[in-house]
Amino acid sequence: MKLTTPPRVSPQQFDVAMQAMAGVVGKDWVMASDADRDAYADAYAPGPQEQWPAGAAVAPASVEEVQALVRLANEHKVPLWPVARGKNLGYGTAAPRMAGSVVLDLGRMNKILELDDKLAYCVVEPGVGFFDLYEEIQRKKLPLWMSVPGNAWGSVIGNALEHGIGYTPYGLHARNLCGVEAVLPDGDVVRTGMGAMKDNPAWHLFPMSYGPTFDLAFTQSNLGVVTKAGIWLQPAPESSLELVFDIPEAGDVGWVVDTIAPLKISGLIDQNVFIPSWLGKMVLKGQRKDFWDKPGAIPEWRVQELLKEHKLGYWQVALRLYGEEPVVKAKAEIIKAAMAKNLKAPPAENWWRSGDPIHAYETTMGIPSAVPLQMSDWIGGRGAHMGFSPVVPATGKHVQGQMELSRKIIDSFDVDFYASFTIGGRFANNVNMLMFDRDQPEQIATMKKLFNALIDETAKAGYGEYRTHLGWMDRVMDTFDFNDGALRRFNEKVKDALDPNGIIAPGKQGIWPSAYRDQAKEGRA
Amino acid sequence: MKHVLTVAAVVLLAACSKQGEAPAAPAQAGKGPPPPPPYQMRPEAPGGNRLAGGDGKTLFEVNCGYCHLTGGMGTNLLTKQRMAAGEPPEKGLLANRTDLTADYVKQVVRLGKNAMPPQTKVDLTDAELEAVAAYLGKAK
Repeated sequence: MKLTTPPRVSPQQFDVAMQAMAGVVGKDWVMASDADRDAYADAYAPGPQEQWPAGAAVAPASVEEVQALVRLANEHKVPLWPVARGKNLGYGTAAPRMAGSVVLDLGRMNKILELDDKLAYCVVEPGVGFFDLYEEIQRKKLPLWMSVPGNAWGSVIGNALEHGIGYTPYGLHARNLCGVEAVLPDGDVVRTGMGAMKDNPAWHLFPMSYGPTFDLAFTQSNLGVVTKAGIWLQPAPESSLELVFDIPEAGDVGWVVDTIAPLKISGLIDQNVFIPSWLGKMVLKGQRKDFWDKPGAIPEWRVQELLKEHKLGYWQVALRLYGEEPVVKAKAEIIKAAMAKNLKAPPAENWWRSGDPIHAYETTMGIPSAVPLQMSDWIGGRGAHMGFSPVVPATGKHVQGQMELSRKIIDSFDVDFYASFTIGGRFANNVNMLMFDRDQPEQIATMKKLFNALIDETAKAGYGEYRTHLGWMDRVMDTFDFNDGALRRFNEKVKDALDPNGIIAPGKQGIWPSAYRDQAKEGRA
Repeated sequence: MKHVLTVAAVVLLAACSKQGEAPAAPAQAGKGPPPPPPYQMRPEAPGGNRLAGGDGKTLFEVNCGYCHLTGGMGTNLLTKQRMAAGEPPEKGLLANRTDLTADYVKQVVRLGKNAMPPQTKVDLTDAELEAVAAYLGKAK
């Protein structure tokens, strides 16, 4: 990819800035060739990758280097786009929202600084991946479990900062953050919570600050660069039981949610309960062409045939309980009785007890895996995916209404419907997975129109997205319309106060500093 | 074809079992497909200067092992591909391939291929990639 410089920066000025940054990190860690820019492009871009081009990438190894780079970014007016490991697949990968931004790749900052099994937390740098942390826990034989997202190739901190979700009792990853260190846009460094006091041992234990609490202000944010954070972990349970319910009909999702959500809210169920539709299982069984060889959506009669052939329900609930065996047994009886009111077939029951092996794909037991990315192969070619991800109240009425709404829109574009709901408490995250081949322009054009329709119609129904791809960050921000977009105005005021030059992640989540607000119309999908 | 993937994973497991790995739970006869393989630990990342490269096998397992060890996403997809091409399932593991050249390995790592995204120099430095390509590139 050819060089795109940031707004109002000439190639010569950009080169001078890169040389200054090389003085901080060493020339090998400034990556500014055409090939380097390709490597930092959005691997799953809906359309040309050139729509979100990085100017270069720079990789610091310490908080001091991050501070020095941020100061240089201010001096040279070259904005930075921080990424932890740059694996935000489906949402932009490592690519920046604003063209020409320099990716600040924190992948070299990959130290596990603390791992405490008594109080069940760790302190990590942004470059630590889920696999790294998992293996360190195994090597030290510590009784700790993690919560992992579907694709666990990425960073523990990065996923939490992006509001990623997992399927364990610790599945709301941003809530596991406790005590953050961040470099501010002027190069100053701050620690939140008890960490504001030097050497305070409760930094990663007490989740609030004395005064306003800013930990979450650094998530989906362009207010600073997080350089380390505490993450709470789950104490390894003594036993665990998986109850697998096959739910026959699409329309059953309403009663399923009305059965499970109250048990989740009461605390009887402590995991985030994942309810994927049938296609979530099929994508691991082969390629789409093995099951349906026409370009349009798989028709309903063929869906019904496939469910029968593969002995699948329309939805599957693989619910997992954790803890002491008598407690788990008692909880299971209550859940089974509640589900039996609407479902005759009893669940499959899979017990695990401390010391038993755990297989590689047990996401609900915190085992990191990239296998769910196999769905990229479903479409074939250079397969990619995007997730349309609104949040709805965890009631049958809302979930069913949202399911019917998105299904109607997706059907009208003749695209396969692949939805999941994750009950995280009083809310459910709905992810509508849209899969496409990056080399089929007409498929991409359809996906873009479909995505716009989903955002607009879902907002009319009163729901907003929890996360989105670079190309829709502004459109989704526009849907948060209370008091004529008061939240955006507030975000922009804070942004301008802290970052007058606008050099940290301009445009992130649709929040533009005044220095680059003229760029907000660019880079929209 | 529908159980090729699970069958492949189990065959691979038998083919690649190493000392120290936990055994898979035995398959229950007549009760559906056998269970997936156990998690395969990667070696510890070598310390030191990443710009100087290192041992290709270790660097491969550390940096490519997320997907290309037993049971990984890349292994699963490649196993399916290799079996469709009439090869045995263990050829799904890149470490067992004899038809890859070092240049081809470097190209796929930097440019990506199909479901695999490109890898940056922070993922794998040029020197590390040289060592990995020398390890995997058994074809001349």
